[in-house]
Amino acid sequence: MAVARIKKAELYVHKTDLDNVLSALQKTGSYEVVPISPETDAEGSPVHPDIGRVEGLLGEARYLLRFLEPHFKDNVSSLARTMGERQSISLRDGEALESATDLMKFSETVRSLERRLMEIRSELTQISSTESLLEDLSDFPYPFELITSGTERVRGVLGTMPAAKIPGWKEETAAALSSMGEVYVSVMGEKDQEGWVAVLYDESLNQQISDLLVRNSFSRVDIPSSLKGTVEDEQRSLAGRKEFLAGEEERIVTEVEAAAEEWIPTVRTLSDYWTVLRDRYQALSSGYSTEQVVILRGWVPESEVPRVTKAIAPFGLSAELFLFDPRPDDSPPSHIVNSPWCLPFENLTRLYGAPKYGEIDPTPLLAPFFFLFFGMCLGDAGYGLVMIGFFLWFLKKYQRMPKGFQGFFKLFVLSGISTIVVGTLTGSWFGDLVDAFSIFSFLRPVKNFFLILNPMENPMIFLAISLALGVVQLFFGLFIAFYDALRKGNYMGAFADTGGWIVFLSGLLLWGGVSSGFLSANAAFLAKTLALLGAVVLVTTQGREKEGIVGKAVSGLLSLYSVTSYLGDVLSYSRLLALGLATSAVGVIINMLAGLAGDVPYIGWLIALVLLIGGHIFSIAVNVLGAFVHSLRLQYVEFFSKFYSGGGSVFAPLTYKTSFVSIENDPEE
Amino acid sequence: MDLLGIMLAILGAAMAAGWAGAGSAIGVGIAGESGAGVMTEDPGKFGLVLLLQALPGTQGIYGLLIAFFAILKVGLLGGGAEITVSVWQGLGIFFACLPIAVGGFFSAIAQGKTSAACIQMIAKRPEETGKAVILPAMVETYAVLALLMSIILLNGISL
Repeated sequence: MAVARIKKAELYVHKTDLDNVLSALQKTGSYEVVPISPETDAEGSPVHPDIGRVEGLLGEARYLLRFLEPHFKDNVSSLARTMGERQSISLRDGEALESATDLMKFSETVRSLERRLMEIRSELTQISSTESLLEDLSDFPYPFELITSGTERVRGVLGTMPAAKIPGWKEETAAALSSMGEVYVSVMGEKDQEGWVAVLYDESLNQQISDLLVRNSFSRVDIPSSLKGTVEDEQRSLAGRKEFLAGEEERIVTEVEAAAEEWIPTVRTLSDYWTVLRDRYQALSSGYSTEQVVILRGWVPESEVPRVTKAIAPFGLSAELFLFDPRPDDSPPSHIVNSPWCLPFENLTRLYGAPKYGEIDPTPLLAPFFFLFFGMCLGDAGYGLVMIGFFLWFLKKYQRMPKGFQGFFKLFVLSGISTIVVGTLTGSWFGDLVDAFSIFSFLRPVKNFFLILNPMENPMIFLAISLALGVVQLFFGLFIAFYDALRKGNYMGAFADTGGWIVFLSGLLLWGGVSSGFLSANAAFLAKTLALLGAVVLVTTQGREKEGIVGKAVSGLLSLYSVTSYLGDVLSYSRLLALGLATSAVGVIINMLAGLAGDVPYIGWLIALVLLIGGHIFSIAVNVLGAFVHSLRLQYVEFFSKFYSGGGSVFAPLTYKTSFVSIENDPEE
Repeated sequence: MDLLGIMLAILGAAMAAGWAGAGSAIGVGIAGESGAGVMTEDPGKFGLVLLLQALPGTQGIYGLLIAFFAILKVGLLGGGAEITVSVWQGLGIFFACLPIAVGGFFSAIAQGKTSAACIQMIAKRPEETGKAVILPAMVETYAVLALLMSIILLNGISL
């Protein structure tokens, strides 16, 4: 339970056995290696001779996966893979696979395929842009040769010109050319701003023609120099080329697909294998090396020490483990260990941030509240049943799913149980399904037998319950803070800060109880005394860090103002009622709509059925999300703010981190 | 005159469903734009993005809820016996619908912006999804309070 004790460890390994010791350490998954800054100027951080090679291969494998995966039809869906449906291999298999595979050669082939594919695609883009140019110039009557290369005497330019200037320019140019050239103007639509123009002219008229063009805002367009013939000729040859390239592309893509089919499983396995090796070598480079020995400093949870000791035992004298208690100025990672009943709730703590080493782990503390609140927010027994069914089915289907997912799914199963309990007590089964349709009338006595309180009819009572739960949780939070401060020997924090508030708030609550008539007037004296005592403690202590008597008094008085934040916190629990009501009301609305649709002649029953099923599925999805988020918020914002700050780092041991396969132990070991 | 009461109740229901729904539409839209941007880089985040985009959608549901409560109250649904609603009672129902209409509209937009920002956050730090879900939920608190008030007010009006 809670944050496990951690030992600071120093492992001295003789260089001859370094690889084997590291591999054994990685197998235990119980040793977090932390970097040592070199203290003396010996050799410094050891660098594994193999790390460069492995990183290179890993980069190559990643490149291959990135390029090939879009072409790969996976028979294990990525959902199933995430859920743990992975092939298991041992490291020995990985090593065998590595030596049987020439990845570099394959990668060379793939790279050349990729290069060819890029060339083809860029040529295709070029062709399609040339084609659209030809489309514009479809009535250009001359071979393009005249423009791209000209003849001995004839020169040509092609470009665009503002539509307004074209007629004037055409006239002037025609005059200048007389019979020494030709003018071309493309056919234009009425709204075109610019038109294509071309002029073919004798070399001797160069100056004149250029002047005319410049004066009329001509902008020259360079056409690909490969264009020689007439428009039709060029279009025909481009179409031919395009067809050829498309065929080529298809052939290469098929080749890539075949390569993906054949290689991806291997590359994935190797990529994971090399990741394992890379992690191991990186851990080594956090160490410190002398001539004969490498030192690895790190953290080991106390409970895992025997595993580590056992793992390095076979190496005898060449590996030696020393353990120390962490010093106050160390910042050990926190290794959260929880008993199975609240294990699913551990994820909620992790979502907020792991506790610091030596702090309280809030998981068991929040678990009962989250359980109850989720039930109240969803509050429909039918929805609870659907949830349990769905998540149990998932848990059964994917039995090897990773711990984190498993925790979440179990959390939802538990939440489903509490939803059923709350739903049964409040008589909500898929909204008012049982009451809305007469075919379910035989279930009504059963439903009503368990019904204690219908929040639709008595929302105020449900609201009171919600707020009361809020008060309970807030006081619980304050008591935890009180205990925590005592545990750390911070008596001022315990009695003045937390204790003051506990007394003050209890007094106010009692007072409220008396004045609203719930408690007898005899308690009034007790209430006033407590409130006054608490207020005095707070006023006198809360300004203790300020200087001067006035500063202390003012801060002390102002601190009482925080009572509004407690009020706000309690009111925040009203969401339990609001969300619970929202769920049942959405259910009621769906049933009502289905009931109305049922009156449609002939196909009414079908519409009603579709509305019922679709509507309730939608309602479950929306309300489960809402219930989860809001019950979580009550923990994080209202509850945690009293005693918990998170911000610890999670224990991250050297272990096997893989994406595609899982690593199992070698069979013969 | 005896119809005016019912009409006022209907006006209230229409405002609740209409404004809260409009707010949710804007909010979900804002979050969706941001989500589409993130997914151009990483389509694999679809699940997370959808989760965050859905968060500002609840106000629309709350508005619909109050609208149904309101018209149920004046007997427009369910084919029960006709209820006479005085002008004052109708006005009361209209006012009772206002918290979720106003609160829903503005909170959904604000929540949409927060969701959009949180979607950007998970684009860079997917491991912080928990926190990214909580921030928009902080905004939703006020929609929940508005819903609560509307329910309590509607419940308090006796016909």
